[in-house]
Amino acid sequence: MTLLRSLALLTLMALFAGCEKSAPNAPNEAKSSDSANDHKGGAAGPIAISTKSGVQMVYVSGGEFMMGNDRGNPDEAPVHKVTLSPFLMDKFEVTHERFAQAQLPDPSHWQDNPQKPVERVRWRDAKRYCNERSFLEGLRPCYNEKTFDWDCDYAANGYRLPTEAEWEFACCAGTQDPADVPGPEKLRQYAWMADNSGEKTHPVGQKKPNGLGICDLLGNVSEWCEDVYSPTYYQEGPAIDPHGPPNPGKDVKRVIRGGSWKSSPDQCRATARQGERTGDTDACFATDFCGFRCVRRVAPEELQQLRQLK
Amino acid sequence: MRAKRSTCLACFGSLNDRGIAHTSPSKLQTWLGCFAVPLLAASLSGNSIQAQTPLRELLHPLPFKIAYESYADNNSDLWVMNADGSLPVNLTQTPAEQEHYPQVSPDGTKICFVSDVGEGRDTVRTLYLMDIDGHNRKKIADHAREPFWSPDGKVIGFLPQEFAKFDVIDFSTKGMSFYALASGKIEPHVNSTNLHHLYNPSWSSNGRWIVATVHAGMGFDHAILLLEAHGNTIINLKIPGCRPCFSPDGKHVAWGSDDHVISAAPIDLEVDQPAVGEWSVRITDEHNKIYHVDWSPDSQFLAFSRGPDSGGDPNKPGTHLAAAEIHGVYAPGWNICVAKVDRAADLHLEQASEADFVVLTTNGLSNKEPAWFRARR
Repeated sequence: MTLLRSLALLTLMALFAGCEKSAPNAPNEAKSSDSANDHKGGAAGPIAISTKSGVQMVYVSGGEFMMGNDRGNPDEAPVHKVTLSPFLMDKFEVTHERFAQAQLPDPSHWQDNPQKPVERVRWRDAKRYCNERSFLEGLRPCYNEKTFDWDCDYAANGYRLPTEAEWEFACCAGTQDPADVPGPEKLRQYAWMADNSGEKTHPVGQKKPNGLGICDLLGNVSEWCEDVYSPTYYQEGPAIDPHGPPNPGKDVKRVIRGGSWKSSPDQCRATARQGERTGDTDACFATDFCGFRCVRRVAPEELQQLRQLK
Repeated sequence: MRAKRSTCLACFGSLNDRGIAHTSPSKLQTWLGCFAVPLLAASLSGNSIQAQTPLRELLHPLPFKIAYESYADNNSDLWVMNADGSLPVNLTQTPAEQEHYPQVSPDGTKICFVSDVGEGRDTVRTLYLMDIDGHNRKKIADHAREPFWSPDGKVIGFLPQEFAKFDVIDFSTKGMSFYALASGKIEPHVNSTNLHHLYNPSWSSNGRWIVATVHAGMGFDHAILLLEAHGNTIINLKIPGCRPCFSPDGKHVAWGSDDHVISAAPIDLEVDQPAVGEWSVRITDEHNKIYHVDWSPDSQFLAFSRGPDSGGDPNKPGTHLAAAEIHGVYAPGWNICVAKVDRAADLHLEQASEADFVVLTTNGLSNKEPAWFRARR
């Protein structure tokens, strides 16, 4: 039994190695256009801001990193170099309180605490929230609601879902903390998952943040990304700011990232990928582990303004 | 009668893997033998004579009509047709407004509905009342949806929208209100503050109960609830699915068991704790969605909408992107259908005979939300 447990632990450690496998170009050594302290949480620490509507966000400097995991599932390979523009990412998953602030009907299963993350959210519901928050803050919405997929204008300064490259970078980057390659015991300090969640969601921010100061990326609820899911995308995707493959038009799945309250530890990995039906034609979408958080592009001069506001 | 029902309930089977109550043919026969339910009993006498009569011919002489919504020429309007699908008439013809969700008064003289003006999040959904011929249109409430009539036709219940900002999803409601036709006053349901995310209500013929679906509200994940019309009692009917509708004779409830199944089952609404019995009718379409079930005034037929899965069309003015069955979402290929349910039946639409099932509209122009009524001569 002990031998089995040891083998299982070794397997897990191999899987978790996704974030450190590419040491020369690892996310936590990402090349950035900003100073090291600005993105790595050095002397100045992670850069956190509060938006006009009171949402806490964290600056992610972008830069070059090695995406994927050759020792994970087949769809996580090959490890490949990706370069990202800087962006802001929500410190927490979108909560019931934020959803109500945007005047959107909340479809979630667990609504007993306003600080719990929303779930059972369709992909388009998540995008709707992004646009509503953009309107609330006087930003230009990213999503064109008069197109089938609510096409994303990546040049707009409003909120949107992260690309899976942005999500993975934020999950791995900016920290030397072993939490990004945790064993199960360590993982419990950072993530609500099957063996510690009690089969339910929890208020956001109760677990340790990652090195960038972002919470719950690896657990609580899995998070919608913008990209169409393709298991072979890493073999063909662009190296700069990848947005995912085009919509195949039929049986499309979108990427969700991060584990959830019902995930096993091996699913709570920075490089683990999953495709999920969007639920957009399902009036009673019941995927109760699906939530999201927002990102938005940020120019260096705007970041300075936002820091002063803080 | 009540004791007899209790005996019969004992022979009911269990829920199958789709969550639908299941019974064997022999049990069904036993059960049919036990009940003196007119809906079922009527059938077994005259059915052999009528079995081969095409349903359209059977419907032709009936004094019933069906109101429904349809989207043509970039506009949703309310239409009325005869029970056999003949003589469709556009009641609204308002290019700047999108009318939906017709609900006809029990006496067949008035029609209540919602009208959408504007686009996207700025849409304003307003509740209206008008004569059955389309005249004397009168506004009842803004930001309101899903009206339903009291059995005496004196009150219209409706669900206030959860937020002023529009969302097409059907459960975006908070509370319940009653509009009194005589006084024009609107009063909240006595338990209104505790009602959240209800949709598709239907009022029982004895006036005592309102049945509705709840989604992510009131502590329920998703359920069909029985609400006391003038009290605080709430009963989970524990039937999977949505959009329930009471039969006018007060003896049955029909609902969508899932996207592809409509069920009907007996319910005794005179007791304090009503429960739904074994299904007596099940209508299945494996390829199309079937929704919006509504009983004919004589409780012998079910009308419903039927069409392919889709998510709307962003190029259609005044429409939204969501599941096709939701009103306000353009649903290409959807038509109004009628099935005969005067006897226990397990009807598979793709193999159904024309004696049991008929498609009334054929243009596929997002025909949804049928509402039967007795035509005035």
